[in-house]
Amino acid sequence: MQLFLQNLVNGILSGGILALVALGFSLVYGIMNIINLAHGAYIMLGAYLAWQLFTSFHVDPMLSVPLAFVVLFAFGYVVQRTVINRVVRAPVLATFLLTFALSLVFVTIALFIWTGDTRGVQTSYAGANFTLAGVTVPWAKLLTLVVALVITGLLYLWLHRSKTGRAIRATSMDVGAAQMVGVRVAHVYGITYGLGAGLAGAAGALLTLSYPLTPTMGDPFLIKGFVVCVLGGLGSVEGALVGGLVYGIISSFATQFDVTILGQHLSGTGLQDVVALIVLLLVLIVRPRGLVGRATA
Amino acid sequence: MTGKRWVFISTLAIMGLLLFVPSFHNDYINLTFRNILMYAAMSYGWNLIGGYTGYVSFGNVAFFGIGAYCSAVLSKTGVDNVFADVGLALVVCALFAIVVGLPILRLRGHYFGIATLGVALGLTDLANNLDFVGGSGGLNLKQADQAHFYLYYYAMWAVTLVCMLATFFIARSKLGYAFVAIRENEEAAQVLGISPTRYKVIAWALGGMMGGAAGAVFAPANGFVDPGTAFAVDNNVFPIAMAILGGMGTASGPFIGALLLSGVNEILQEKFLWLHSLFFGAIIVLIVVFLPRGLMYLVGLRGGVRRWLSDLRAFRV
Amino acid sequence: MTEARDICLRVENVGMRFGGLRALDDVSFEVERGTILGLIGPNGSGKTTMMNVVSGVYKPTSGRALFEGKRIADFPTHEVCHLGIARTFQVVKPFASLTVRENVAVGAMYGRFGAKRSGKDAFARTDELLESVGLARVAGRPASDLTIPDRKRLEVAKALALDPELLLLDEVMAGLNHTEVDEALHLLRAVNERGVTLIVVEHLMKAIMSISRRVVVLAEGKKIAEGLPLEVTSSPAVIEAYLGARFAKRQQQERERQT
Repeated sequence: MQLFLQNLVNGILSGGILALVALGFSLVYGIMNIINLAHGAYIMLGAYLAWQLFTSFHVDPMLSVPLAFVVLFAFGYVVQRTVINRVVRAPVLATFLLTFALSLVFVTIALFIWTGDTRGVQTSYAGANFTLAGVTVPWAKLLTLVVALVITGLLYLWLHRSKTGRAIRATSMDVGAAQMVGVRVAHVYGITYGLGAGLAGAAGALLTLSYPLTPTMGDPFLIKGFVVCVLGGLGSVEGALVGGLVYGIISSFATQFDVTILGQHLSGTGLQDVVALIVLLLVLIVRPRGLVGRATA
Repeated sequence: MTGKRWVFISTLAIMGLLLFVPSFHNDYINLTFRNILMYAAMSYGWNLIGGYTGYVSFGNVAFFGIGAYCSAVLSKTGVDNVFADVGLALVVCALFAIVVGLPILRLRGHYFGIATLGVALGLTDLANNLDFVGGSGGLNLKQADQAHFYLYYYAMWAVTLVCMLATFFIARSKLGYAFVAIRENEEAAQVLGISPTRYKVIAWALGGMMGGAAGAVFAPANGFVDPGTAFAVDNNVFPIAMAILGGMGTASGPFIGALLLSGVNEILQEKFLWLHSLFFGAIIVLIVVFLPRGLMYLVGLRGGVRRWLSDLRAFRV
Repeated sequence: MTEARDICLRVENVGMRFGGLRALDDVSFEVERGTILGLIGPNGSGKTTMMNVVSGVYKPTSGRALFEGKRIADFPTHEVCHLGIARTFQVVKPFASLTVRENVAVGAMYGRFGAKRSGKDAFARTDELLESVGLARVAGRPASDLTIPDRKRLEVAKALALDPELLLLDEVMAGLNHTEVDEALHLLRAVNERGVTLIVVEHLMKAIMSISRRVVVLAEGKKIAEGLPLEVTSSPAVIEAYLGARFAKRQQQERERQT
């Protein structure tokens, strides 16, 4: 029972950050219908920004979160308007490859600026835990979860209440109709993509509290982000949250998996990607629109 | 004779010239061209499912990796024969394509792409954890001695030639039309009597075998296989970029793309060392933005530059 | 006196529900082999849904459609043409990057007799078909480049390439002018003469009247009339369905006044 609770809590905590990662990704896919393979790179850039601020100016990563959001938002907006906009209506392959290439470029630049050495952020509360009902809860991860939830909530409200938010949703439903009522689609796309990048950057900044930094740190999150999006429902804000938490829990329990077949030792911790793949395939086959997603025609 | 046919004949001619590479007795040149041929073969494999059938796979490196590991495992059991290597790779890749393809080829568009990416990553994980394929440490194969060094070049050359010719003949055959029909309009293809699942699996299996054969020859030539080498991200993306550059869904495209991009890659690596990733990424960006339909599209295009530019404009908002 | 009729298609109490909407309600009719059946009705009456049921695209939620005694719903979409049923689509979607010739050839390769044909034979058969529908002159053009009447011809040719016994034509004459309609009718008669049974869905009364042996009328998903073309078009129920109850009543009053 103890172990069960611990795994559950671990799962929920890690689910929070996954949800945040998936959120930006899902938004871009849902609105612009492109798979943004550069998402991982934006996470990484947000993380390094937070690290740099911490190392040079002793700014606590938590404070860097909004800053990372703003910087990456602007960056993403520019990237979309200059490059991605040219292929936004092209077949999926074009944007796959384009965003992949962009990620390649960003990672190499990061490699150049910060080298491949692993970096870390050591805050005073980094290793601190508290215990509740026999379950250990790291402060850093709890904070991450709370921030993730807050950001998700804010985003949801903004999308549904604000004028720009509604313009974005209108565009996702029907580009032609949106254009006809005066929505400047390229600008809307810019904002959407900027949001995606900004959210990734914020997630990256948060990650520094609990994870080490390398230029390729974004990759595992990209894959898990995929799976979470698909699990929750591509294009759905609530879906990203639900998917993140559910996947976090699944992944957490999977680490308990430990068997030896035919002399071959297999463990859930080592087979993270296989676990992700299995979840992905199951969802795609059994319920492609995800737990919360709307069925697309 | 159409322009496209001329281009294909030219690629065959270049293949003929490539037969003379070993005569330079230069390991670097040998390696470079062997890599070009390898990428071309992988690109042909991707081209069948991605270009002709329209199902964009972002995980075809899985087949290359499987092929490489087939050779490695055979070598571990004492068999170091290139024919056996390729033979086993063909069988295993075909089976893999059928078993994995049946469920995931039912998925459309983006979902299929994501699923294949997941497959490739899952296999990487698995390879890292399975002891009998060496885990993360990988496996060593019998190192080729001088006499055999060129054997692997010719083997790779043969594999690529077969891929090229197979693609050419498949494209003109009934099978090729089934693939293209599925790409153009899967529902209409069904109404005309084509079972989409059946033909998608066939396309993926045939393409997979091509990638697998390339991997099977690569492994002994390289002397070493580990999850990072076998399932390298580069091996996933380069063949796709090459097919796009040359022209997806054509018989000459993958070869042209492989030749050009590999050439560019070599030059970049020489001049800029580690920065070459940056430039390579930039080049892919340029290809995708300015040549989304590839070079073959420009061959015989009525309307010239103006048509090309207006086609590009259709992709933006 | 009733003679034994050679029925190839039996539609028995077919109903089709989409959630709350009942697109078809207990529709039954039979089609005699080698004849032409006209299927008419106002917009939204369920004609295209009926076509979708007969061509196996929809499985009926109640009742059944039998072709040569076999339940059409039992077969997956790509097997339906092997049964001998082919159709044209209202919204024409050819394979854009293939030529006209190649478009038709695909059907010849994978249709009812496709398995026995080599690629070369399929193209030979295609050339015959293109000749017969009048597309030989544009055979080498990309399919996306055609005029509307030619696109309709292409749809018919593609369906014929499947060597069907039963051909369903869904509003094939929409968008054609007088001359083109006459040409289309001529073509359809020729196809019928070669032994193909036709079901023609049309809005154009003149077309239906001139080529149908029998006509079935649908309105709001139900069959409201069936019979010879002249019988059906003078039936009050049909007039009411098309032109409204008031018009039908006025017509009735006119007739009574004249007698």
